[in-house]
Amino acid sequence: MLRYFLHTLMCALVLIGVARPASAQVDLTGMWAPIFHEDQVERIPGPDVGDYAGLPINDALRFRADSWDASLLTLPEHQCKPHPSTYGFRGVGNLRITAEVDDKTQSIVKLHTHIQWQEQRRDIWMDGRPHPPEYAAHTWQGFSTGQWDGNVLVVKTTHLKAGWIRRNGLLVSDETTMTERFIRHGNYLTHIYMIEDPNYLTEPLIKTNGFQLTANPVMQPYPCYPTVEVPRAKGDVPHHLPGENPFLEEYAKKHNLPQSAVRGGAETALPEFMNAAAKPATVKPDPPIKKPAPVVDNEVHSLHVQGNVWMLHSGGVNAAVQIGEEGVLVVDTMTAGLADKLVAEIKKLAGNKPIRWIVNTQLDPDHTGGNAKVAEAGESIIAGNFAGQAGQAAANFAKVLTHENVEARLVKVQPALPTQALPTDTFFTDEFEMHFNGEAVQFFHVPNAHTDGDVMVFFRKSDVLVAGDAFNTLTFPVVDMEDGGSLNGVVKTLNQILDITVPEDKQEGGTYVIPGHGRLTDEADVVEYRDMMTIIRDRIRNAIDKGMTLEQVKAARLVRDYEGRYGAARGAATADALVETAYRSLKQDSKTTP
Amino acid sequence: MTKCISGARARAVVAAVVVVSSGIILAAQQGGRAGGAAQAPQAPATPQAAAPIDLTGYWVSVVTEDWRWRMVTPPKGDFASVPLNAEGTKVGNSWDPATDGSCLAYGAAGLMRNPTRVHITWENPQTMKLETDAGVQTRRFVFGAGQPPSQRSLQGYSVAEWEMAGGGRGGGGGGGGGGRGGATAGPRNGNLKVTTTMMSAAWLRKNGVPYSENTTLTEYYDRFAAPNGDEWFAVTTIVSDSKYLNQDFVTSTHFKKEADGTKWAPKPCKS
Repeated sequence: MLRYFLHTLMCALVLIGVARPASAQVDLTGMWAPIFHEDQVERIPGPDVGDYAGLPINDALRFRADSWDASLLTLPEHQCKPHPSTYGFRGVGNLRITAEVDDKTQSIVKLHTHIQWQEQRRDIWMDGRPHPPEYAAHTWQGFSTGQWDGNVLVVKTTHLKAGWIRRNGLLVSDETTMTERFIRHGNYLTHIYMIEDPNYLTEPLIKTNGFQLTANPVMQPYPCYPTVEVPRAKGDVPHHLPGENPFLEEYAKKHNLPQSAVRGGAETALPEFMNAAAKPATVKPDPPIKKPAPVVDNEVHSLHVQGNVWMLHSGGVNAAVQIGEEGVLVVDTMTAGLADKLVAEIKKLAGNKPIRWIVNTQLDPDHTGGNAKVAEAGESIIAGNFAGQAGQAAANFAKVLTHENVEARLVKVQPALPTQALPTDTFFTDEFEMHFNGEAVQFFHVPNAHTDGDVMVFFRKSDVLVAGDAFNTLTFPVVDMEDGGSLNGVVKTLNQILDITVPEDKQEGGTYVIPGHGRLTDEADVVEYRDMMTIIRDRIRNAIDKGMTLEQVKAARLVRDYEGRYGAARGAATADALVETAYRSLKQDSKTTP
Repeated sequence: MTKCISGARARAVVAAVVVVSSGIILAAQQGGRAGGAAQAPQAPATPQAAAPIDLTGYWVSVVTEDWRWRMVTPPKGDFASVPLNAEGTKVGNSWDPATDGSCLAYGAAGLMRNPTRVHITWENPQTMKLETDAGVQTRRFVFGAGQPPSQRSLQGYSVAEWEMAGGGRGGGGGGGGGGRGGATAGPRNGNLKVTTTMMSAAWLRKNGVPYSENTTLTEYYDRFAAPNGDEWFAVTTIVSDSKYLNQDFVTSTHFKKEADGTKWAPKPCKS
C-alpha cells in the first residue's frame, strides 16, 4: 500500500509540476495582440507636435523636442530605426514571446520577444548573467535581465541606444534604463514600464500597456531598406531653430487646452494641475542632473568587437588592436601611466604575436602617452636601405605611423618625447593604406576636426572603424583650435564616418565604430552625435548671423538640451567651452568662406 | 513496470497532494515566523490578515496616458480608443455637454480613470473600502460570498478575492489561477481581483461614453515599487458590456502612494 501511495504521489507531483523548477511562475509565451484602448490616437495615427502633457520631462527635453522636425525621419540613416524597447511595447504590431529552455535543467535561459513593426527583437536573460560593462555597445532593445517576483516577471534593461518615449521628438538618452513588470491575468497581459533618464526626465516615467492572447497570430516579416526620399545637401539635418517652430501651439489650440498643460512636466500629470492650469506657463530651470560616477578603475579592459579587432578601454580612454598572423597593429596607446597595463592586455590577447605597428589618431597624450612603452614591447621588420640608415636596433621596436601634422606637433612637445614615442612613418595624403593580417587597413586624414592631424583607421574585413577624437560618447567634442581643429571639421568628419559605416539591419550593428572616448558604437550612435553637432552648429551660426555676441549666445543657452548628456563638468568639453570654441571657429570660417 | 494513474483518480490524488504540500508550505512559513516553535491551531485568516499586498493608504493617479480624455472633458463625440458599437456611439452622441460634471462620470467602470486621489482602508476584516476625492465616491470590495444587493447603484456590488502568487486564491475561495510551478519563497505575493456587477448605467468618460447596467467590471490590483523607491499600484480594468461595446474595454491605470492625506481634496460631482 505504501509503495502504491509513493508511486502515485510521484506521478501526481509530476502532474502538478512540483518537479518543475520554480523559475517560471506564469507562462508568458505565446502571441499577444496589443490593446489600443489607451492613447490610441498617439499610438497609431501618431502624436501631435508639441503634445508633452502628463510626461515628467525637464526643460532640456522640452527645448530639444521643440526643435524636432518630423522631416528628420526622411533621412536614410533614420528610416529603418525600430522602436526602442522604451516605446516598442506601446507601438503597433503583435508581440510574440518565446522561451529558450535548458534541456538539462528545464530552466528558462531567456525569453525572446518579437514585435512585428520593424522586427523589434529582444532577449530577456533569465539565467542570472550580469549586464555588460559600461563600455559595451548599446542596442535599440538594450540588454535585459529578468527575474520573477511572485507571478510577475520583472525585467531590468540597460545599454539602450538614444531612443524616444513619444514619436514627436520626446527623445531619451542612451543613459536611459528601464524596469518593467509583466503581469498575466488570464488571457490579458499588463505591461508596466518605468523609464529613468537622468538627462531628460525629472522622475521615472510610468506607463502601462495591455495585450490579449490571440488565437490567430499574424507575424509578417518587416524588411527595411533605406533610400533617399528627399534630395538634400550632404549632412543636412532637418530641425527647427529655437523659437522658430511654427507648429508648437497648434495642438493646444486645436483641442482648447492650456498651453501650460501641453508643455508637460511631472506636475501636469497630477489631478490638481487642472485647477492651476489657468496660470501662464512658467519654465523652471532644471535641477542639477545626478548621475552615477563613471567607473574608473585604472585597469585596461578589452572587448572583442568583431573580426580581428578588439577595443581596449580604461576610464573612458580608448585604444584598439588588430591581431593576426602577421602580428599586432595598435591604434593609440592611451596615457603613459596606463602603458604597462595596455601592453599586458595586448599580450593577453595576442600571445607571442609581435606588436608591429602603432597608429596614432592624433597627438594628445591620452592617445600617444604609451607610445614608447608599446613600441618597446614590439618589433619591426626592417631590411635593405632602411636597415642601413636606422641600424638593425630599430627592429627592436614597433613602428609608429601617423599623419605628418601629428608628427610635426609631437616633435615640438616639451619636454621632448623619447625617440620611441615619435612617429617612424608618416603620410601627408588624405588616405593611406596597407594590407595587414589578411585585411585591408585604410587610414583617413580628417583635416581640421579635433586637430589638423586627425586620423581614422578602418579595418575593412573586420568592418571596424577607429574614429579618434572627432567622435566620443562621453562629452561634447573638444575642438582644439590651437592645434588646427574646427567645428565644421568635426561635423564633416562625423558625416565622413557615416559614409564609411553600413548598418547590418534596422540601423544597428554592421560597421562598428570605436570612438576616441566612451563606449563601443555603431552607425546609429554616430548619427545621434552628428545630428546634435549639426543642430548646435546651425543654432550658433544663426546666432552669429543675427549679430549676437559670444556673451549673448552663452546667455541664450543654445546647447542646454544636450548639456546634461554631453556637457563635461570641467575642462574643454563643458557646454560653455563648446559654445565658445564653436562661436570662434564659425566666426573664423565665415572670414575665409564667402 | 508500473504506470501512472489517470483520470478522476489522478485528480483526487493531485488534490490531496496540493492540500498536503500547501500545508507543508504554510507550516513552514508559520514555523519560520515563530522560530520553529509548535503552533496552536489558528482560526482561518481574515481577508485583511491574509492580504498578500497592502493597498491601504492614500494614492494619487498619475495621468501619463489618455491625458486629453481624462484630465479634461473631451468634446462631444470624441470616443477615441473606446471600442463602442453602433448603439454605444449613438448613445454617446446624445450626450448633453450641459451635464458635464455629472456623477455618471464617476460610476465604478469609469471611476478609476478619473484624475483622482484614492483612499483605501479596511472597513472591516472582510471589506475593503476605496474612496475617491474626485466625485466623492465610495466603493466597497467584499471578500467572500455575500448577498448581492437587490438594487443597482453607481458603484454596484464588488466581490473581492486575493490571487496568490503560485496559483492559489484566498480570501474569497475559488479555483486555481493562471500560475504554475511552486509557491514562491519569501514574502507573500499576489494581487487583488475585484468583480463588480449590479451597476447602474453610467459613463466611461466625462463626455458621456456609455456603459450599460449589464456591464461586468473585472479589475486586478497589483502593487509594485519603482526603482526610485516610490510605491505604486496599477489596476487593470476590463469592462464587459455587450450592449454598447464591440469587445471588452481594457485599460490599466497607475497610482502613486502618498505619505498622508494632506492633498486629499474632495470635489463632489453633480448628482
